[in-house]
Amino acid sequence: MGTFVVRRLASMLAVMFAISLLTFLIFQAIPNGDPALRLAGRLATAQQIEDVRKQWGFDKPIYVQYVKTMEKVFNGEVISYSQQQNVESEIWRDLPVTVSLALGAGVLFLLFGILFGLLSAVHAGRFTDRALTMLAMFGISMPAFFLAAVMEYYLSYKAGIFPIGGYVSLASDPWEWFTHLVLPWVSLAILYVGIYSRVLRSNTLDTLGEDFVRTARAKGLSERRVLVRHVLRNSLIPIVTLWGLDLAALFGGGALLIETVFNLHGVGQYAAESIGRLDVPPILVITMLTAFFVVALSALTDIVYALLDPRIRLN
Amino acid sequence: MAIEPAIGSELPGGGLPAGFEGPVVAPGLGPYQLAWRRLRRNRVALAFGGLFVAIVVMCLLAPVYAQDIAHTSPDANHITETIKVGSKSEEVVSAAGIPIGPTWHARFFLGADQNGRDVAVRLLYGGRNSLFIGAVATLITMLLAVMVGLVSGYFRGPIDGVLSRLMDVIWAYPALLLGVALGVVLAVSGLNLGLFQIQGNSLLVPAVIVGVVYVPYVAKPLRGQVLGLREKEFIDASRAQGLGHVQIMLGEVLPNLASTIVVLVPLMLANSILLEASLSFLGAGVQPPNPSWGTMIGDGIRFIPAAIHTTLVPGIMLMLTVLGVNVLGDGVRDAFDPRARIRVER
Amino acid sequence: MLRSFRLLGALVLTIALAGALSACGSSSKSSSSGTATVTNLMGTAPDFLDPGLGYTTQAAEADWISYTGLLTYAHANGEAGTKLIPGVAQSLPTISPDGKTYTFTLRKGLLYSNGVAVKAGDFAYSLERSIKLNWGGKSFFTENIVGAEAFDKGTAKTISGIKTDELTEQITVSLTAPYGAFANVLAFPSAALVPTGTAMSNLSNKPPPGVGPYEITNVVPNQSFSVVKNPNWAKDEIPGIPAGHVNINAKIDTNTQSEAQQVLNNSADVFDWADTLPASLLASIESQASERYAKEPTVSVFYFFLNTKIKPFNNQQVREAVAYALDRRALSRLDSGFMTPACFFLPVGMIGHPKGSCPYGDPSAAPNLTKAKQLIQASGLAGTSVTVWGETRQPRREYVDYFASVLNAIGLKATEKIIADATYFPTIGNVKLNPQAGFADWNQDFPDPSDFYLLVNAKSIQPTNNQNFSQVEDPHIQSELAVLNKVPSTNLQSVAKRWEELDEYVAKKGYVSVYGYEDVPKFFSTRLNFGAAIFHPVYGNDWTSWQLK
Repeated sequence: MGTFVVRRLASMLAVMFAISLLTFLIFQAIPNGDPALRLAGRLATAQQIEDVRKQWGFDKPIYVQYVKTMEKVFNGEVISYSQQQNVESEIWRDLPVTVSLALGAGVLFLLFGILFGLLSAVHAGRFTDRALTMLAMFGISMPAFFLAAVMEYYLSYKAGIFPIGGYVSLASDPWEWFTHLVLPWVSLAILYVGIYSRVLRSNTLDTLGEDFVRTARAKGLSERRVLVRHVLRNSLIPIVTLWGLDLAALFGGGALLIETVFNLHGVGQYAAESIGRLDVPPILVITMLTAFFVVALSALTDIVYALLDPRIRLN
Repeated sequence: MAIEPAIGSELPGGGLPAGFEGPVVAPGLGPYQLAWRRLRRNRVALAFGGLFVAIVVMCLLAPVYAQDIAHTSPDANHITETIKVGSKSEEVVSAAGIPIGPTWHARFFLGADQNGRDVAVRLLYGGRNSLFIGAVATLITMLLAVMVGLVSGYFRGPIDGVLSRLMDVIWAYPALLLGVALGVVLAVSGLNLGLFQIQGNSLLVPAVIVGVVYVPYVAKPLRGQVLGLREKEFIDASRAQGLGHVQIMLGEVLPNLASTIVVLVPLMLANSILLEASLSFLGAGVQPPNPSWGTMIGDGIRFIPAAIHTTLVPGIMLMLTVLGVNVLGDGVRDAFDPRARIRVER
Repeated sequence: MLRSFRLLGALVLTIALAGALSACGSSSKSSSSGTATVTNLMGTAPDFLDPGLGYTTQAAEADWISYTGLLTYAHANGEAGTKLIPGVAQSLPTISPDGKTYTFTLRKGLLYSNGVAVKAGDFAYSLERSIKLNWGGKSFFTENIVGAEAFDKGTAKTISGIKTDELTEQITVSLTAPYGAFANVLAFPSAALVPTGTAMSNLSNKPPPGVGPYEITNVVPNQSFSVVKNPNWAKDEIPGIPAGHVNINAKIDTNTQSEAQQVLNNSADVFDWADTLPASLLASIESQASERYAKEPTVSVFYFFLNTKIKPFNNQQVREAVAYALDRRALSRLDSGFMTPACFFLPVGMIGHPKGSCPYGDPSAAPNLTKAKQLIQASGLAGTSVTVWGETRQPRREYVDYFASVLNAIGLKATEKIIADATYFPTIGNVKLNPQAGFADWNQDFPDPSDFYLLVNAKSIQPTNNQNFSQVEDPHIQSELAVLNKVPSTNLQSVAKRWEELDEYVAKKGYVSVYGYEDVPKFFSTRLNFGAAIFHPVYGNDWTSWQLK
């Protein structure tokens, strides 16, 4: 078991290293992308550009720059090119927005995903199932940013029910926080409700066929009890794993389209802006952060599964 | 034929409510005929498949519509022109920059965009681009994923280690961020693949990006399946006959992956079209002045609420297309894999 | 059952976590007594609030009233606002006859916002600080002041060309060559005084003390900052610099749509002029808020550069064809009507803007496409491929979409290359790449035509970071500039006619295809006195003129 955990963690580190390197290298490929030129401004003289290059260490070989940057990332000292702000504190500033958005949507899609998936499975083949399946299809086919824009148009501009974009912090006004986030939550959640209900439906159908369910039924347990205590319990495990991974991705800027449409200045928008400015340090930190969550969570799941099921270890 | 029933043809468990459409086992039919029979009975899936085909045909006819009906080209600007709508003469783009809405006439049938371009014409040309990128990206994803899955699962050991870690890197990299970053960079620099030189504004750039980003999602389940297959007797038998690795992989293992691939293709097509739209929406996909549904929505969103048609028209078309592919794909999956075991690994 | 409770518990916990995190993100509100606070919404954060680094209009807006240099501009609308007035100096400089020495005397008894007395030596320190910090415009100092370049390179400890006398409070600045616009350079907030000893690092998050009616406090990077009355500033401390009426809370909100909405319904007070009013809201603003909304001209020029070194734009007829074909009304519509159609390089409001009519058709009327097509045919260059460069930012990308469509319509073969904003100017400024045509613009750094003519000056062609995108090398322009650039800004009127003639010549040559000067919105809430508010020709909204009704 010990070697399995060590191996899993080692590969996690390797993946993280590769991701940071990849991010760093992607932006080296831009022609005329020399950050010193950008930082020095339009009127800069050759001397000035040279100064910037020295000051930021752009004159060093690429591997030295990489190592230096990574050192700063881990010390929390990394500074963005465009506005020379500490990247980590910028991310801390934007995190409440993203966390509010992701968690709210996460709660929504977990609850509705389970509800719809279960209903669908119980009524498999009947009208409810077909209707819910169609709904799920709409969910996974709807481009979230389009849905967001349309909802903003009809519900905010036309009907005036919700405010037009922006974020209000929970501490300053909980009600405003809520009303500003309803549309973003819904538009973000719809896709996942579609996915989750589909996954849960097939898991539940699988479980319903298992022996222990038949046994439970044979024991004369009520259908509801069988469903909740035996079926749901088993089919929920993969869903919760999935939920963890999806939330991790959302925390790390996966919701950037929704953030863009509703002008929520969260981590996603910060990432998108930074890419637009070819500002490598923030992009590096955000991708590494997200990747870390995703990789760590999946490693954790693997290890937990391995603990539960010795066969996996051998594989 | 020794076909491993990994993709179940057995009846689902006993406790199912009445009316559940389990597959009817018809003796003497191969899995493909069986699947086709099931699919044919799924009217909803076929209807949406038909919708998708109709959209594809419409988009292919874009040049005809542009020349013979709208009398313009997708990139031609008509900002300061005026057109007759009924008896009134109206400006294509107002002095304040608001484009005209749907006229329901031959010219500007679905209105204009901010550059005074015909939205209907751009919608069809944009559809060609979106569909082309979706198709090429799916092709790239499937090709690479099958290669990785086969090699990884068949050889295991260090090759598998390296390939799997590579897949992990792409998989753990936030998909949209990776796509946008690559899109922004490649739009400037173009892509140099040794033999091929792809210009920065080529449609192949977003196609390659989308294709590569999705490889691990398909390669992982395929690898798992190959791992299972290589332990089977028929593989041992081929090995005993002295067949080479490549022959076994392509001749023996690959055919057993076929139904999984068939099920995954529509799913990946839908996802590729969506990712392309997201990238283009963020300006990192199709490069101007070339239209795509994503870029059209991205441009249109600024004119909410004054000119909602610039967002609605491409958005609805995009949604219908993806919906068509998804429902058809769901039908195909039901036909091949009633217990929904094949999944994109997330 | 236990498991489902655990799930519920996890949900509760995560929601609580979200709440806690949100609480971290909120900032404390500061309340100041007496003075009313006005909210200014900015779509783009200032690049740097530190005067030693700030270079964008958003930074200058706050900095020029918080940091005063030896010279500053009159607080007035229109051309009156371009007048230089003494700031911390007692009077306008004495300029030596050879134009190379500027002498000032410091005002007596001035204090910084932290109460420390202002000394003559602080001037030298402040300039050294801006150079050390790598201010974007530092070449204005290093290329003109004796010894500034040596200081920049680190070969000198101080700038030898700046002499300050602590007893007489006299400041002497020596230039390497006569440079007419030098007085304007001294009016940059980056040449304003900060106390000697101020850290030589980016202090944007806690801006240093300055001399001025206001001081910048409470900076939350990229989110908000306050510009409040400086307690150490007496009324008429410096004649011509008003003491101001209100405190300003600047909030950064990248969604201009919601910004405009907030000002329209009076939940915020000012829509920052540097932002674009969303096209979709213009109609309702014009109808519901006409008494508190106006379009103000800026001294800026928007043009397509045409590379005069290579085909097809090395041909005069082709350049004329472009000038004939451009429908400047169309380009104005792409900017929601915020573009005044024009053809001359020097904009309205700048000395030297020609009063005559345009050489190739009225810019406010329909273009002459037939003539343009004829010219292209006559040039024998029909069908030549042209790559048109543009940046992604809206509406600049749309300008280029339009431009390419026009080039195609008149018989050239245009393709677009749209690249990220951040690399746009470095890319087209790479002479090796030799870009054929594309978007370009210029906003005045200071009210002197030489600032614009830098862009067509053969001397500014350089391998990287080239700003003469058309690569104009014209002996007539060069000989005129040699004379005109030396005329001190305080004496510009005397050469106005000559600048006009030069500008007409450039328009005739068609080196740059000018299409307009940008207008910006002045848009306030009903709380503010709209009429009394100054729109300054250099810095936009003058925050010292804002007052409640």
